[in-house]
Amino acid sequence: MRLAVVAVATVLLTGGCDLRSTYENSLSLGFPDPVTDEGQSIYDLWLGTVAAGAVVGLVVWGLIFYAAIRYRKRSDELPRQVRYNLPVEVLYTVIPFVIVAVLFYYTAVSENRVNQISKNPDVTIGVIGFQWNWTFNYEDGDPNTVDPSVTGVPGQPAQLILPTDRKIRFLETSNDVIHSFFVPKFLFKRDVVPGRVNQFELTIRQQGTFIGRCAELCGEKHDRMNFEVKVVSPEEYDAFIASQRPAASAAASVTPAISAPVQPAGSSS
Amino acid sequence: MKVEGLLFALYAMFLVMASAVYWLLSFDPTGTTCILLSGGLAFIVGYYLMFTARRMEARPEDRADAEISEGAGEMGFFSPHSWWPIYTAGAFSVTIIGLVFGPWLVLIGLAFLAVTVSGFLFEYYVGINRSQGQTLQALEAMGESPTSPHKFLGD
Amino acid sequence: MTLISGATAPVQNTRPSPGPGSKITKVLTTTDHKTIGLLYLCTSFGFFLAAGAMAVLMRAELARPGLQIVSNEQYNQLFTMHGTIMMFLFAPPAAYGLANFIMPLQIGAPDMSFPRLNAFSYWLYLFGGLTAAAGFLTPDGAASFGWFAYAPLNDVIHSPGLGSDLWIVGLLIAGLGTILGAVNFITTIITLRAPGMTMFRMPIFTWNILVTSILVIMAFPVLTGALFALLADRHLGAHIYDAATGGAILWQHLFWFFGHPEVYIVALPFFGVITEVIPVFSRKPVFGYKGLVFATIGIGALAMTVWAHHMFATGAVLLPFFSFLSFLIAVPTGVKFFNWIGSMWRGQLTFETPMLFSIGFLVTFLLGGITGVMLASPPIDFHVSDTYFVVAHFHYVLFGTVVFGFFAGIYYWFPKLTGRMLNDRIGKVHFWTLFVGFHLTFLVQHWVGAEGMPRRYGDYLASDGFTTLNMISSIGAFVLSASTLPFIYNAIVSYRRGEKAVGDDPWGFGNSLEWATSCPPPRHNFVTLPRIRSERPAFDLHYPQAAGQVDFHASPELR
Repeated sequence: MRLAVVAVATVLLTGGCDLRSTYENSLSLGFPDPVTDEGQSIYDLWLGTVAAGAVVGLVVWGLIFYAAIRYRKRSDELPRQVRYNLPVEVLYTVIPFVIVAVLFYYTAVSENRVNQISKNPDVTIGVIGFQWNWTFNYEDGDPNTVDPSVTGVPGQPAQLILPTDRKIRFLETSNDVIHSFFVPKFLFKRDVVPGRVNQFELTIRQQGTFIGRCAELCGEKHDRMNFEVKVVSPEEYDAFIASQRPAASAAASVTPAISAPVQPAGSSS
Repeated sequence: MKVEGLLFALYAMFLVMASAVYWLLSFDPTGTTCILLSGGLAFIVGYYLMFTARRMEARPEDRADAEISEGAGEMGFFSPHSWWPIYTAGAFSVTIIGLVFGPWLVLIGLAFLAVTVSGFLFEYYVGINRSQGQTLQALEAMGESPTSPHKFLGD
Repeated sequence: MTLISGATAPVQNTRPSPGPGSKITKVLTTTDHKTIGLLYLCTSFGFFLAAGAMAVLMRAELARPGLQIVSNEQYNQLFTMHGTIMMFLFAPPAAYGLANFIMPLQIGAPDMSFPRLNAFSYWLYLFGGLTAAAGFLTPDGAASFGWFAYAPLNDVIHSPGLGSDLWIVGLLIAGLGTILGAVNFITTIITLRAPGMTMFRMPIFTWNILVTSILVIMAFPVLTGALFALLADRHLGAHIYDAATGGAILWQHLFWFFGHPEVYIVALPFFGVITEVIPVFSRKPVFGYKGLVFATIGIGALAMTVWAHHMFATGAVLLPFFSFLSFLIAVPTGVKFFNWIGSMWRGQLTFETPMLFSIGFLVTFLLGGITGVMLASPPIDFHVSDTYFVVAHFHYVLFGTVVFGFFAGIYYWFPKLTGRMLNDRIGKVHFWTLFVGFHLTFLVQHWVGAEGMPRRYGDYLASDGFTTLNMISSIGAFVLSASTLPFIYNAIVSYRRGEKAVGDDPWGFGNSLEWATSCPPPRHNFVTLPRIRSERPAFDLHYPQAAGQVDFHASPELR
């Protein structure tokens, strides 16, 4: 018996890394590995929530199946006609309340982190959704210059180039109906609403090309307006922007830059 | 009736409080109005029920020690069958569908609605149904009584 | 074992034989809550089959990448009408059907308070439902903007077809029927209870109908107003939902203020059905009656204040308020779960088909409830909102509650409705096929949604990596649809030639008053009523040796 305990402890202590990835793989339930700081916050919250849900589920399913098996009809005798049990009832009211209170606490922490807007982002991207594609503007905040811009066309999705390790602010709106800017690898989406400018900030930590999708029903080609996000190093991004600017000032960009929304006090962004 | 009144009154109190909290936290006029008006609806019903409960003695169905015999006698009038519900539903449907096709259909629908709603309202105040006594006599002439235990899908 | 009270020999029929068309006339002019209840049940089941067929078409399309069966626009019409029919034309009317038939019996009433209004509500439902579905017969097809019809997609520029207008007016007509039905239920429960049937002796099913009806009268008028405003925008040049003045979010607030109570409107009656079935097949009273009543009332109250958890991804709502209340509403629902398990605990359980469906509900709804608590968290929502994860969640809660509850109620109350039993062996085949088919369809959707497959996509790329899970889900859908066939066969054959129900209470351990009258009941429900001294008057009548016995926490006031 003592040998078994020692063995298990050894495995746990030395196999720590493997355990974590096993834990993540089984609990992620399909969530992609996030590539942003905000996504990492969401991912950690998700793993904890799934763990809590799994425990609750196993306990309650266990109770259901135990009752169904253990209390099968064995005789014609009428069972005790129990109608209530106050201590048990109080317990199963309070415990779920505690569980959801804890979940709400971690939710609030993560939500504040994800929705944080800084005063001076390093990069500002304008996102415009329309039926049935996207326009991305690389905004420099200067109203006198024309921003580089890319617009997707059927057969050639819009490709948004972004740097790692920089604070990127997205300002988004729609020209017609509600769409939604969704990049699964960011574990993030935000609706793109006509008549309204939404803003959010992300900091990406990993390079690569990630697919983006529209995630709000917008008509016939809702499932045909995928876009791409290509994340490169900050140096490559700066070079890209520099190469775009002369061309951009020569040709007028399709759509004007979006300015940050004026936030009334007390509302969330 | 007090318990029912309390149910609505508690909903009213909860919703009014929730609308105040929601307004102070969000300044959202849409949601605040919706919650407040729902609370208002609950208040109307709850106030009426509590007010009525206070003015009357506990009915047999409000008392735990009531006997079935206390509910003996006439329970009220229950229409045995009627054409007016389906007619009125048809008229209302024509009116609403008319909103899509044009005022001409709405006007036709409103005409039908006027006729059917009147028919519905006055059904048991005119003709053979003018009074309960008349209907009872007509039933007895057929050899029936209002409490015949026929299967509801039978004969 | 069962006592038959007040049974008399049938009265000899001396009327002249009725002429042709009399059966149809009887149905068209009925004001009897039992006939109307049956009409609601049959019509809602017909809509269920239609919407189910649409679902099978959708799953067939999604089994492999590429559009094989329908076009994008047609696919959009399919999921719009599937959602609309299920949420407006199947689930609430099925609940109303059971409520209409059973609730007056459970409170010892001779009928509903307003019999003609009752019939009026049913015909409004039928006409409104047919109008909305008639969109499929128009040249441009049915509405295709999703069952929530977000603005500005729902305006005349982006959805110009006649089908969209018919959707709006159809829901206006059916909505009035639902509201009037709720008014009728509330009035009946307040005014027509039998002597001794105090509020805290009413069966839980009746309590749930009461709270549901209160939710209906608070929520449906908001939808009606929002729909009229939409019609004004589309046809009278109004600017209510103009995007520039915040119209897009305005529609969402109004729709979801209705839409969230709506999901509790469809869930609560079937929670009530489960609460009726489990104690009968456990041969024990329901556990924690008062707790169940308070939990139901709590769910009703909170349901009115959580609507914007459907809007977390819009960036336009107060996240903490709605998140906190959405987490909170899980608590009374959890309490109910433990009440149901407590009703089974230390009982003598038998597993006839109604009990199988009830346990199937418990197993299924548990997962749906857990994913619901996950969705109450805005950061998690930022990833999974509008993906198949949400589709999986709501099918687990809705199908788990409404469909499992509907079939549990049908198998349980079929003898009361018709005087015959549904065949139990075919019922078991129905249950297991449905259970396996359902989980095969929807379990994998959690995964494919978490991976990033959005909802309302009629197609996806082979390179997306969604194919395998979609294929599994589609196979499950075919199994699920096949499960309906044994049920239809069972219902038709048993109605004509099924085993006759023995006595007032064929299941043997019924608690509520409907089991103290014949199967089916006479025209005005009761020839005699037993004395009511607890929340289980029929049980007290049939088992006088158990009534008044001061058992562990049994009712002390029974004498």
